[in-house]
Order: sequence, then C-alpha cells, then structure tokens
Amino acid sequence: MLVFVTVGSTKFDALAQAVLSESVLKSLHDKGYKYLVLQRGNSDVGISEETLSLRREGVDIEAWKYKASIQTDIERADLVISHSGSGTVLDVLRLGKPLIVVPNPTLLDNHQEELASELENLGYLKAASVGNLQETIANFEPSSLVPFPPFDGSAFRALVDEEMGFQ
Amino acid sequence: MSIITFSGVLILLALTVRTFAILSGYPRRPKPSEQNLSNSKTRSVAVFLGSGGHTSEAMMLVSALDFSRYTPRTYVVSEGDTLSAHKATTLEQSKAASLSSSNTQMRRQYNIEIVPRARRVHQSLLTTPSTALLSLMFCIYLVSIKPLFAKSGFRRPFADVLILNGPGTCVILCVAVLLNKFIGLPSPRIIYVESFARVRSLSLSGRLLCRIVDRFIVQWPELARRDSRKEYRGWLV
Repeated sequence: MLVFVTVGSTKFDALAQAVLSESVLKSLHDKGYKYLVLQRGNSDVGISEETLSLRREGVDIEAWKYKASIQTDIERADLVISHSGSGTVLDVLRLGKPLIVVPNPTLLDNHQEELASELENLGYLKAASVGNLQETIANFEPSSLVPFPPFDGSAFRALVDEEMGFQ
Repeated sequence: MSIITFSGVLILLALTVRTFAILSGYPRRPKPSEQNLSNSKTRSVAVFLGSGGHTSEAMMLVSALDFSRYTPRTYVVSEGDTLSAHKATTLEQSKAASLSSSNTQMRRQYNIEIVPRARRVHQSLLTTPSTALLSLMFCIYLVSIKPLFAKSGFRRPFADVLILNGPGTCVILCVAVLLNKFIGLPSPRIIYVESFARVRSLSLSGRLLCRIVDRFIVQWPELARRDSRKEYRGWLV
C-alpha cells in the first residue's frame, strides 16, 4: 500500500522529519504501507536533491521537493498524511481517501488547528500532532471515518441567482 | 476667506453624506432584478482568484453557476499566478464541452485580467504602500475606466456581480468598486464568501470587508452568530 505525504508548498520541517523518522516508518510498515511518496516543499530533511529515492525501515521512499500536481498522487494513495491546508484537505476528502492531518503550528495566523479539530469532530479525518503521529498511525482505522459529502453547488447557485434576480 | 471656508465645509459635508450613503446602503441601491438591465437575460460575473486554496474555492463557486445565465465571465488573477489562470481556462473548456450546441454563443465568453499584487509574500512592510497603490490604480482602470470604452456601453458595470473569497488583493479590488460607486458609476454587487478554512475567526480580508460588501457569507455557523449581516448557508465548496 502507498502513503502520500504533503507538507504544503511552504515548509514544515517537523512533519517532513517525523514521517522520515524510524518510529513512524516502522508503524507505517507494520500497517502494510511499503511505499511512501513525500512532497517536502522547502522543509529541511537533509536532502538537497529535487527528487530522491531511498529505502528506510523496509519502506521505499520517493522524496520530492515540489510536484506540479499532487492530484494523481492522492488518487494512487491508500492513505494521505498532510498539513491542514483547506485546499489539500478538501481535495483528499473529495477523492475519498483516508486522511491524517497535522496542523502546522508555525504558521502566523494559525487557523489550521481549528479546521482540523472541527473536521475530526465530524468524523471526516484524524487530526494528529508531530509528537503523536506514530501512535495515531498505529491506532488509525480508515473504516471508522465518516464519508465526506460530495461538492454541492446548489446553495451558492441559488444565492447568486436570487441576488441577480433570476427566480 | 469665509466663503472659501464655507464652501470647504459644504464639500466635506457632501462627501461625508455620500460616503455614509454608500456604506449604509441608503438610499437602497436597487438589485439588478429591479433595475432595467436592458431586458438582458444574462448577467456578467467577475471573480477574484486569490491563488492556492482561495483559487480552489473560488473556482468551485463559479463552477456552480449556470454559464448560460452568467456571461461573460471575468477572472481576475494576480500577476505571476499562472496556476490560477490555467484553472480558469480549464473550467471554461470543460463547461464549453458540456453546454449544448444551441448555446454556442455562450461559449468562450470570458477573459482573464491580471492585476499587480498588493503585497507579495515576505515583502517588506516598508514597500507595501507603493505596490498596493499600483494594484489599486490597476483595479480602478479595470472597474471604472475600461467599462467606459466597452462595446456594451458605459451604462453597464464591469460586472453585474463580483465574487470574492480573499486574500489581500481582493480588498484592493473592493476599494476600487467603492470608489466607482462613490462617483456614481454603475457598480457590481459584491458577494464575499469567507474561506472554508475559517471556522471560528474571520480572515483579515473578511474583517475589513464584512461591513462593505453586499452579501457576506460564512461557511461555519459559529461565524454567523450574533450578527445578521453574516449569512450561513452550509458549506458552499
């Protein structure tokens, strides 16, 4: 099985380093994830190459600095671990992929935490921190998640139609 | 001297009243349904694509509209944001493919406008006023000057409705619309949709614009509490 990890387009050193750590990789391996694709952005993980393949703890890893599109990576993945940016969260949940989010606490105007905990309360995803990522993966049951509702444009269409005088 | 002072006070008073009238919405500006939009069956729409998650949300909102009603469409994109421009083109192509052949005149009726950013990421606060001013000048051109020379005639605003989702530069665009209103030119209705990411607190753009725009929509119920100006209608994206 394949796990896709994205830290967003900026940097999130702690998350990128955590997923490459021995304990997290072991947990992933135990759960059957033998392949990992990481988009690290500008995070510092001791890799300078744009893209690099390596193998650690029995997991084949592909580390990318930046991918032009992560759509196919999400589609291929059996599990996604991501920062809690709303764009990525919506994309992953709409594709019906199990999602563990780790809010980035270093962002100035931090609202990632709010979104993560609210969506977790509704059962759509699992929220973790860098500190408890390993335990979260070990205890994660994708089947316990609530399916995310599909996009429904009718409410906004009705609102604009009403504002513009279409009945 | 006293005449100059007197006329100065009078002008100031007039400007204050006008500003207040615009911001309070009194006298109430009629909705396009109540105006004679030259009996047009279509409305023009403009949307600001703020890059990243903002662009994703704005594109989902636009995709919800019936393109045979909302035409032409203007996508306002920040300078250098090729990804947003690309997303706009992709949506237009997929919509064109799904529209029936009887609607061929509705196809490809869109344009992409590029505005300078009010503030680049990591830009020094010292130089922000000058880039914001450049951005404002361009927005004024887009909102007030360009429509004067449009084929549709100057009685039509640059768009009938303007959809905003943040961030920064959309405030500048909104200021340009306010100035346009101030001098009495036809202006778009502004619908601001706060980002899905905002659960318990408004964004800076949201806080700046919530008293100014015609409709202010939030996507989490807590944000609409204790304020009737903020509407909650469930998730829109």
